[in-house]
Amino acid sequence: MLQQNHYLKSVYETPFHERTSELNILNDWTRWKDYTVPNSYFRVDLEYFAARNSTAVFDYTPMIKHRIKGKDALEYVNRFFTRDMTKIGLHRVGYAVWCDEQGQVIDDGTVFHMRENEYWLLSAERQLENLAVSAIGFDVEIDELTDDVAALGVQGPTSASILKAMGFQEIEMLKPFDIKHYSYHGEEITISRTGFTGDLGYEVLMSNSVALSFYNEMFAKGEIYNIKPAGLEALDLLRIEAGLLQPGVDFMIAEEAIRPGATRSPYELGLSWLVDLSKPVFNGKAALVEEKKRGSKYTFVKLNINGNKPASGSYLYNQANKKIGTVTSAMFSPSAKANIAYASLHEPWKKGKDKIIAEIYYQKDLEWNRVMEEATIVTKPFFDPDRKRATPAELY
Amino acid sequence: MTKKNKKIAVVGAGHNALVCATYLAKAGFSVDVFESRSQVGGMIGKRKLGEEYSVPGAAHLLSHVDESVFKKLNLKKHGLEYSAQDLKTVSLNRDGNALIIDGDEVDGDDITMKEKKEFKELNKRMVKLAGFLESTYGKKPPRLGSDDRGDMFSLASLGLNARMMGADSMSDLLKFIAVNIYDVLNEFTDHNHLKGTLAFDAILGNHMGPRTNNSVITYLHQLTGGANGKNGSHSMVSDGTGSFTKSLEEAAKKAGVNIHLNASVKSISFTDDLEITGLTLKNGDAFDADIIVSGIDPRSTFNCLVGPKKLEAGVVHKVNNVRMRGNAAKLHLALSSKPKFKGISEDQLGQRIVYSPSMEYLERTFDFNKYGQISDDLPMEITIPSIHDKTLAPKGHHVLSAIVNYVPYHLKEGWENSKSRVLDQCINQLDGLAPGLKGLVVQSELLTPADIEEEYGITGGQWHHGELTFDQFLMLRPVPKMAQYSSPISSLYMCGAGSHPGGGIMGTAGKNAAMEIMKRES
Repeated sequence: MLQQNHYLKSVYETPFHERTSELNILNDWTRWKDYTVPNSYFRVDLEYFAARNSTAVFDYTPMIKHRIKGKDALEYVNRFFTRDMTKIGLHRVGYAVWCDEQGQVIDDGTVFHMRENEYWLLSAERQLENLAVSAIGFDVEIDELTDDVAALGVQGPTSASILKAMGFQEIEMLKPFDIKHYSYHGEEITISRTGFTGDLGYEVLMSNSVALSFYNEMFAKGEIYNIKPAGLEALDLLRIEAGLLQPGVDFMIAEEAIRPGATRSPYELGLSWLVDLSKPVFNGKAALVEEKKRGSKYTFVKLNINGNKPASGSYLYNQANKKIGTVTSAMFSPSAKANIAYASLHEPWKKGKDKIIAEIYYQKDLEWNRVMEEATIVTKPFFDPDRKRATPAELY
Repeated sequence: MTKKNKKIAVVGAGHNALVCATYLAKAGFSVDVFESRSQVGGMIGKRKLGEEYSVPGAAHLLSHVDESVFKKLNLKKHGLEYSAQDLKTVSLNRDGNALIIDGDEVDGDDITMKEKKEFKELNKRMVKLAGFLESTYGKKPPRLGSDDRGDMFSLASLGLNARMMGADSMSDLLKFIAVNIYDVLNEFTDHNHLKGTLAFDAILGNHMGPRTNNSVITYLHQLTGGANGKNGSHSMVSDGTGSFTKSLEEAAKKAGVNIHLNASVKSISFTDDLEITGLTLKNGDAFDADIIVSGIDPRSTFNCLVGPKKLEAGVVHKVNNVRMRGNAAKLHLALSSKPKFKGISEDQLGQRIVYSPSMEYLERTFDFNKYGQISDDLPMEITIPSIHDKTLAPKGHHVLSAIVNYVPYHLKEGWENSKSRVLDQCINQLDGLAPGLKGLVVQSELLTPADIEEEYGITGGQWHHGELTFDQFLMLRPVPKMAQYSSPISSLYMCGAGSHPGGGIMGTAGKNAAMEIMKRES
């Protein structure tokens, strides 16, 4: 629903704005889709550490929320996404990607099996057009709820304790990717054990009307658990450590790519586990079957790079000094204590044979320096604490 | 598996489907044809009007047949008979000034020597362009973005054919191919009645007015082929088109095709790996097949027989965006004696009679159509087949068969309560052109585009199985990547007018599809 006089503003404020603007002492805002949200609140590193050591709260409201419901909802999502959606049971969430006809990834997102015959898709980009086109012949109803539903990420080791203190019974019993509906001030509120940080954490979906009181109550109850607001800059560090891709950063959104070859298939993003070629038809299947037969052009890898200089945007070379790829995201990980990066590799790189050497530029006192650092491929997540999986969740 | 063991099921028994089936059977495949109606021939089949009269069902003239197909199938031997050939076009107007067109000659309605010459020049240049178009018809169109040598070659030969026409014709091609017939005809002549008559050929059966882009290509399409090698010339088949469908049926049977009538196909079955396994009929019977060839339109094929849920969304979307707005109705009248049209002598009654007095008239009439309404003065192509074939009506009686254009599929007020009104309106309109005709009417019926959809199973009642426009032509017909008679499901092919080269009674799509199937499946 459009806010009144929306045309007078170039961006909307989220339902939490009244509070987030008080907390945002740096007054550092950024645009996320139609909204303005904090980029950072007080100090990026402390916001980051709140998520790792206590609890950080993110305003996810601008995340695009789609609802798919109807008799054919399961059949529909199974045709839309590349993975086997029959395995996402009721009140479960699944990470998924979807492809265009060429088998190239359009976007990724999380699919919430909210109720019987009802799924929600949360994604970075608006997908109404794709969802609607895909609905021909299916008994489903599709709408977008972005402006009607407020969303928070409550992430960190003490997050379960805070929600429990707020009265959400048995919150600690939620397994990773579980969903539970609660009633809050007479409104339904949905809590899922999901997040974008690779840690213990929850996402909360609620109607706009209760958003502010929820926020205030959470910060009141959370004070002794060192609850902190956190902005998008901290979130970006957290998601890289967690091994999560960012559309538009780690891969081109297929529909926005201008140059042929700029897009990637799920195989080329290291997401083959999200593709089930044995299920019946799904969007992009024919092309992916073909790619599986012919082989992919790109390989997506996680890298551990020598030294401590982040390899942002670096070119990668092999031992013969031939260019073999590019870094898409990079940071020095405080939790893993490692210089980490994601990269897209291509020919003539040979798996297991070729070295990977990153060309890193960095500044010291305004002087640019260049180092060539060797990198190794990491297959496990950079940061993977046990508390991420432990059920019941740790309570303090 | 050798091709002898491969079982082919053909959906529909329209002329393209029968041509395709016969070619395939001749090549050694085992072929079964499934037709939902009780007779073959689809839109060309003969139709009963009351107890004593017969009329051509939908199509009533043959204008651009593919002679190579007719010869290969030996249709003459199997009973094809023309009751009249090289028909002239007699164009009426309300004042009773008829214009007669015969090949590149035009006469009547105060036409001047200068205008006659203008028409000759126009005809010469258009026929040349039509020849270019036709040179692309006999083979599968190239696939875009393909590195296949055959595709590259046909793309190159397309360019070469265009160049070989000579500089003048090539510049005509580039100048005219994507524009509208209104501007082109205005460039050649000032004779409004002549322009109206020619523009009628461009818009007949298409959702367009003379000012709509692409209306030159539809005009050229009408000029392709032509019986007896005469471009755009029209013929009538004896027995109300019955001898044509009969000969197709005979040729198919002779080649070993099994034809199942009253066998409506409900669905096509295939595995998750998109391998065809067979089809199921509406009565529940199942039939195993290795190859399925659909002679019905692409939208019905994928929406009804395959089902959108079993296809990738991109495919469904493209297929559903094939424009299929039918806007031609069919009028059938049984008359107790010969009608008398103003300005037409009795011996001209057997010709192709057109009512389309000017391009401005056509454009204004199309305006109604665009908005789901209907004008009370509709353009028509009228034939009286009983003049040439006495078997169609009792002695002294006649049948009139007319294609009435600009009758919308989506009529704003709905068809249920409007059909009899539109039928009466058509009869009244004809009564104005042939005073007293109304009193002669013994039987009458109007097949609206909605009826044509129902009767012949064509989406939107679109006669050409998809509008003939530049974006739905050649390698884009019916949709890109499916233009080679193939589909996303391996061994499911399309052979109808929805594929290249498109609508009209040619048989070329059926032949081309058969060639492609032989190449891929042998």
